[in-house]
Amino acid sequence: MMSTEAQAQHYRVDPHARFRVMDDEGIFVLQDAGEVLVVNQLGAFIVEQLKAEHSLDEMVVAITERYAVDAARARGDATSLLDALLEAGAIVRS
Amino acid sequence: MSSLTIEFAGSRYQFAGLNPEQLGLVRPRFEALLCRDDTPPDVGVDLHYAPSRAGFMTRPPGPTEYRVAVAHGEDTIAVAGIGFTANIDRVPLRAQMQTCLNDEWFLGAFENLFRVVACYRLFEQGALVLHSAAFADGTRGFLFGGRSGAGKTTLCGLAAELELDILSDELNAVMPAGARFELRAMPFAGDFGGAPRRHPPYSLTGLLGLAHGSAPSVHECSKAEAVSRIVASCPYINADPLLVDELTSRAADLIERVPLRILSFARDTRFWRVLDDEYRGPGATLPR
Repeated sequence: MMSTEAQAQHYRVDPHARFRVMDDEGIFVLQDAGEVLVVNQLGAFIVEQLKAEHSLDEMVVAITERYAVDAARARGDATSLLDALLEAGAIVRS
Repeated sequence: MSSLTIEFAGSRYQFAGLNPEQLGLVRPRFEALLCRDDTPPDVGVDLHYAPSRAGFMTRPPGPTEYRVAVAHGEDTIAVAGIGFTANIDRVPLRAQMQTCLNDEWFLGAFENLFRVVACYRLFEQGALVLHSAAFADGTRGFLFGGRSGAGKTTLCGLAAELELDILSDELNAVMPAGARFELRAMPFAGDFGGAPRRHPPYSLTGLLGLAHGSAPSVHECSKAEAVSRIVASCPYINADPLLVDELTSRAADLIERVPLRILSFARDTRFWRVLDDEYRGPGATLPR
């Protein structure tokens, strides 16, 4: 089970990255590397949630409401995406 | 000390402070693009030769490829490579180069700095400079964005077999021209493009990304993918915190008017029949 501290975890876009939504998909420009990442509609929604300073738990609730999926699947999808974005340097923990 | 002025894509770049050895390297390389009149340059680059190699990135023992180091400041951009350092002032755009080179390595240093300066100048003029292959069939210009390994040089090799006019397999510029875009040649190339020469502007008819496939085809991609492919292909500017937002906006504007599609191709010239059919006619660049 995830700890209370982890569930309250917040993220933000890395200061050296830019994020923009385009036709529901999202684009990260990673300036330091000159790289660009594309995230799908769900990914763009999750990033908008973290930009609004929502915690992981709050994101899970928002995903279940928007996409009509159960909380376990929403948490799994959100965690996978956040881990990938952390590894890519697109977001940081705050 | 001597100076010379090189012109392409509507801008003039004056390089001053060249010693005789340096001039002897640069002049023949850019002969076709040299300006013969006294029209003031748009960008000045002052060179300072310092024979001591202390403080400069050293040469490797053999042939090498390396990335020029670029650091973006509020007012200036610092550039460093083998045997040279430089500062580029943002406004007005101009550069100062310090180098310990005056042999064949100098030409590499010169072109490395020139690429960066030209990218900034052309961006200032509303253009996008892309890592790309580009060719034209006389009237229609085609640009294929992609980073190293995407297939740009392979495609240019195939285009050469078809006797298409190859602009470059490395860097090309896309400039707004009224409601459309023009493809402009730049004097930098990898294996194709040869010595710099003057090319007319071509109407940007096809804007494509590259993918490998067994049979040639052209397919659509999402706007986000299209913009990401363009932004990822714009060197130096896409790493500049002061310009990256404007770059992304321009890329979005470009693909609204010239949709980016993906060309899958194999190592044969069949791709041209597909492109020729796909982009035939005056409305071919409009969204379908």
